[in-house]
Amino acid sequence: MPVDHKRINGPEESVPYELFARLSGLTSEKAFEQLYKAGKRSDGREFEEHRKIFLKNGAVSQAKGSAYIEMGQTKVIVSVFDPREIPNRSDYSLKGELYCEFKFAPFSCAKRRLHQQDNEEKQYSCIMKKALESAVCLHELPNFQVDIYALVMHNDGSALSAAITAAGVALVEAGVPMYDIITSVTVGIQQGVKLVDPDSLEEQMCQVQFLSEKYQDNNHGLLIISKLHTQEQLCQFYQNGYVSLEVLKSGLEVLSKTCEVIVPLVQKCLIKHITNGIKS
Amino acid sequence: MSLCDAEKTFILHGVAENFRSDGRDREGYRPIEIETDIVQHAFGSARLRLANTDILVAVKIEVDTPLPERPFEGKIEFFVDCSANATPDFEGRGGETLAIELSNILASAYKSPKTFNLKKLCILKGKKCWKLYVDILILECGGNLFDAVSLAVKAALFNTKVPLIKSVNIDGDNVELDVSDNVFDCERLDVTNAPVMVTVCKIGDNCVVDPNLAEEQCSVGSIVVAISQEYFSTVTSIGIGSLHAQTLCSSLELGQKVGIRLNEALMDTLSHITSDQDFGFLK
Amino acid sequence: MSQKIHIRTASASSRVRPLATTEKSYKIFTPGEVVIKEANTNFVRGHGTYEENGDLKASVAGVKEQVNKLISVRPLKSRYNGQVGEVLVGRISEVQQKRWKVDTNSRLDSVLMLSSVNLPGGELRRRSVEDQHMMRQYLQEGDLISAEVQSIFSDGSLSLHTRSLRYGKLGQGLLIKVFPSLVKKSKIHFHNLPFGVSLILGNNGYIWISPPTDNTDDNVGGFVQNLEEVISKDIREAMGRVRNCILALAENKMMLFDTSIVFAYEESLKYSVAELLLPEAMVDVALLTQHRLSMLDDYEFE
Repeated sequence: MPVDHKRINGPEESVPYELFARLSGLTSEKAFEQLYKAGKRSDGREFEEHRKIFLKNGAVSQAKGSAYIEMGQTKVIVSVFDPREIPNRSDYSLKGELYCEFKFAPFSCAKRRLHQQDNEEKQYSCIMKKALESAVCLHELPNFQVDIYALVMHNDGSALSAAITAAGVALVEAGVPMYDIITSVTVGIQQGVKLVDPDSLEEQMCQVQFLSEKYQDNNHGLLIISKLHTQEQLCQFYQNGYVSLEVLKSGLEVLSKTCEVIVPLVQKCLIKHITNGIKS
Repeated sequence: MSLCDAEKTFILHGVAENFRSDGRDREGYRPIEIETDIVQHAFGSARLRLANTDILVAVKIEVDTPLPERPFEGKIEFFVDCSANATPDFEGRGGETLAIELSNILASAYKSPKTFNLKKLCILKGKKCWKLYVDILILECGGNLFDAVSLAVKAALFNTKVPLIKSVNIDGDNVELDVSDNVFDCERLDVTNAPVMVTVCKIGDNCVVDPNLAEEQCSVGSIVVAISQEYFSTVTSIGIGSLHAQTLCSSLELGQKVGIRLNEALMDTLSHITSDQDFGFLK
Repeated sequence: MSQKIHIRTASASSRVRPLATTEKSYKIFTPGEVVIKEANTNFVRGHGTYEENGDLKASVAGVKEQVNKLISVRPLKSRYNGQVGEVLVGRISEVQQKRWKVDTNSRLDSVLMLSSVNLPGGELRRRSVEDQHMMRQYLQEGDLISAEVQSIFSDGSLSLHTRSLRYGKLGQGLLIKVFPSLVKKSKIHFHNLPFGVSLILGNNGYIWISPPTDNTDDNVGGFVQNLEEVISKDIREAMGRVRNCILALAENKMMLFDTSIVFAYEESLKYSVAELLLPEAMVDVALLTQHRLSMLDDYEFE
């Protein structure tokens, strides 16, 4: 991997010390057992309840549009820059393009992230781009490129969903023509339990298969969708893990419903921004 | 190449009629050709041809240290190389986005322990494990890459032989591995649950699998599903275009159905391969 | 019941295809090989050859062709070299001032001048400025046309015309591409095959398969496409079969003309349309067609 000489690099590989602290000793399996017994999640939420969201736009004064979102501990900042001509392109294209960059800050996760984008971040950038492409009226931006940067400052699960929702808000603030409001929600699946908007511990829990005998259900995984509100269209869908068709379908329903819950919040945020602008 | 409206209409009606322009039905695949064990220096390899798409996959194995958070597991990594041989579009950094997309989907599809058990690749807890490097070379690109790549990867993993370790000696922090002298002493990987991917393409009101280039142009949206047994290990939407929830569900059903059949056909073919078959480019 | 998924193993022996070859064998020249020794002034250098030390040498791999003194070597795979009067199928690639650029598989894009099309309304009339503005409504990027080569420009690009009711914009159907050298030159390139399919064998290797056209109704200049019409399943099946048969013949390097296609169609009836995608079936159909054609040749020569 090429080394970035412009900044002082941290160690290439680092190990979070929590791994060696035996005292926590809370394996995913045990955590799930606790959660299942209580019928509630560790922060007191129902299984299919979304965390409280704080959404604010205009967080970055230099950007054309920007938004800051908090979902529980997860904190993401998204900025959108002016449409500019597509660089390094000789032929004219009728449709505009989006450029998305999704980045975890080095300190955002338990493990230190490098400054360079790793594969996971590149994949998330791809997913984000796909989701937003269907929401933006690309034909109104011929030969232009809109740059969108998402920076996760603290990852406590569902960071990608948070980034997509916030990017939608930031795009609206930047005055980029959009078909619809875009919202995104993550759901974690383990043993048929659907955990809407999982935090990082729950995300981890949903990525593994439990070995003990009492868990016969093999379903586990993460589902992320992005939805266009009025068109009722899913503009992006991503799943990983190991999930059966029925669970997938029911998960989709839950996600769709939760997306609807977020929409008024996004609308309110946008309206508030404009009315504030008029007053001042 | 861009099609005119009349051609698109023809394809659209054909899909609605369940009779595509080359005679296939909506769930039909074009014939696939496969061969394994064709790269001498690799531990396992496969070449797959689906219509005009040609994929070569080779698996290399190295000894590595397990990740501290997963001391019991080996590693698997996918690298996709979109060679400029395939299409001039891949020249320079042209194929990079596609390559990243492909390797990410593969990594995500093989992530769950139910699809591919990495614990088998662990040699000594927290100290030594096998790392599989799966190198995918796209020799020719004629559409439907995702399906072809996943089938080729599965065939190459099926063909992979992991060296047998006779004994492990630990001397302080040093670990010595004693690999069997006989090169034929090796273990096969278990790939029964390894996922196969199916691209489901929505054309008009219906969904088709294995679209050719003309059909891809008529598509209003497509998803890739990775099927392991009857479970989904990864689903992702590709390209621009959005789907209604109802359409998504029906394409998931179609993808699952075809994925199971595709997997059966592949496993059947692979199990019939005997070692004395005259494979290889020039063998 | 849906169609079976075929996954077969490739082996070295199956990689060598049994070629449906004819008795007649041609001398194939390779680049650098001397075609005619000491050609000097007796011969004229044509395409695919060059002169060195008085010898005429091949610059491509292919067969020799001689027209009087003109010697050329024709390769199997080549882009289309047009000749005046040949029938083509092409795709509009660009709309320009007073002309369309057409992709015809030749080295340079061909040109269709606004003055060389029959405009709607039939009768010949002067091209007005309005017509220039309307050009995209007649033909736009991606549209397929059938046309004839009118003349060849000095740079080798072709000028086309569609001044006949036969030519013009193509409607519903499907296009397949083969090597131009596989399309046999003949007087007729528009065929209505007996099983309800019409076919345009473009000299440039583009072949257009469409539902039967009734020549009775005079289509005016051919700028109308019927997008409403739904083609019946029978016709669709025949079209699919013709497509797969032509591809099977082309795969086995057999000449394409109406008789060979009709024979291949008849021989292929034992397979379903989708089965014709299998390599074995393709070779089988090609061999059987070859056999019938050779019997036909004997008959003709007697």
